[in-house]
Amino acid sequence: MEDNYLWDRSGEPDPAIQELEAILGTLRYQPRLLEIPHDNQIARRRNFYPAMAIAAAIALFAILLGLWFSFNRRQAPVLQATGDKQIVTPQAQGKPNAALQALVESPTPKTIQKRSEAPRNVLAVYKDRPTRTVNRQPQLTPEELAEKEQVLVALRLVSAKLNLAQRKAQGFPQLNTIRNQHKIG
Amino acid sequence: MLEAEATADMLFMTQPFTAPAITESTEQPVEVLLVRAVLSGERDRFARLYEMYAPMVHGILLARVPRGEVDDLVQDIFLHALRKLHTLRDAASFGPWIAMIARNRAMDFYRSSRETVEVTEQMAVERPPNRTAKEILDMICRLPEAYRETLVLRFVEGMTGPEIAARTGLTPASVRVNLHRGMKMLREKIGAVAGQ
Repeated sequence: MEDNYLWDRSGEPDPAIQELEAILGTLRYQPRLLEIPHDNQIARRRNFYPAMAIAAAIALFAILLGLWFSFNRRQAPVLQATGDKQIVTPQAQGKPNAALQALVESPTPKTIQKRSEAPRNVLAVYKDRPTRTVNRQPQLTPEELAEKEQVLVALRLVSAKLNLAQRKAQGFPQLNTIRNQHKIG
Repeated sequence: MLEAEATADMLFMTQPFTAPAITESTEQPVEVLLVRAVLSGERDRFARLYEMYAPMVHGILLARVPRGEVDDLVQDIFLHALRKLHTLRDAASFGPWIAMIARNRAMDFYRSSRETVEVTEQMAVERPPNRTAKEILDMICRLPEAYRETLVLRFVEGMTGPEIAARTGLTPASVRVNLHRGMKMLREKIGAVAGQ
């Protein structure tokens, strides 16, 4: 059959198809050597495992380095735990009783960040956490207490004298100083 | 008459297809063994693949680009295939893979340098083909793309329908339909030219 001949050259040949085969066969591929240049290399399948291993090692090293720096920065201030768990800053460390004097002389209470005596091994620190304020009364020696008492008595006397002077200036009757004696004492 | 015969024959398209004997004793296609050998470093085995598939690539290009460009493009395509052979996942699909490379390269040829077509046509005069053959090839090249490639492989390269199917990766039914419909359109064109 003609169609079989067109399909696989079996069956009865079709003269028209044979003529086409003969005519177009002149254009058939002429075998030619394949010239492969020396620089034409077969590319290998890329293996990403070494690159991934290197990247993972670098990332791990960076993480460990960051943790180490973070841990060291936490330990940088000198922690000197005293009996009453007060913290002495490095600036005050050179002078004896400097921190104590600062607390006594300061009119406003100092803000002290309370920290544990032994450093904890923590991975992360919340630095913006509000610090607790501790208002401690200074521990005074007996001499210092006596001096403080003298200063307070002097201040009271000055205050009473200023009060009298003010009343005289305004023309008000003088207060019964005897009646107000209990306030002064 | 012709149409009736083609239709009747197409009813038998569902019969089992027997591929040409291109397997070795290991029951693996030759292409698989050759591709693996080339990838393992035996570059001279690529020459065998070239011998097997150069006619198909030649036919695919001949249906698309000027004849004077075909031989150089065949070489380029095989060199490109050699470089990119590691990207071929299924070694048994070497034929369809290189056929697709050839089709893409033919499209790139027209995209990149259309003006060189005129020059190469003039250069082809050095080895003038049979005038009638060129005229018929021009008629085939004016057919739809699916038909022209199958007809060129059948009449120019002398491949049978089952061989075309096995090498290009098309189904035998598609090849059979393309052959019959393309042949019918070609006869009409030849008849129209002869009648003028």
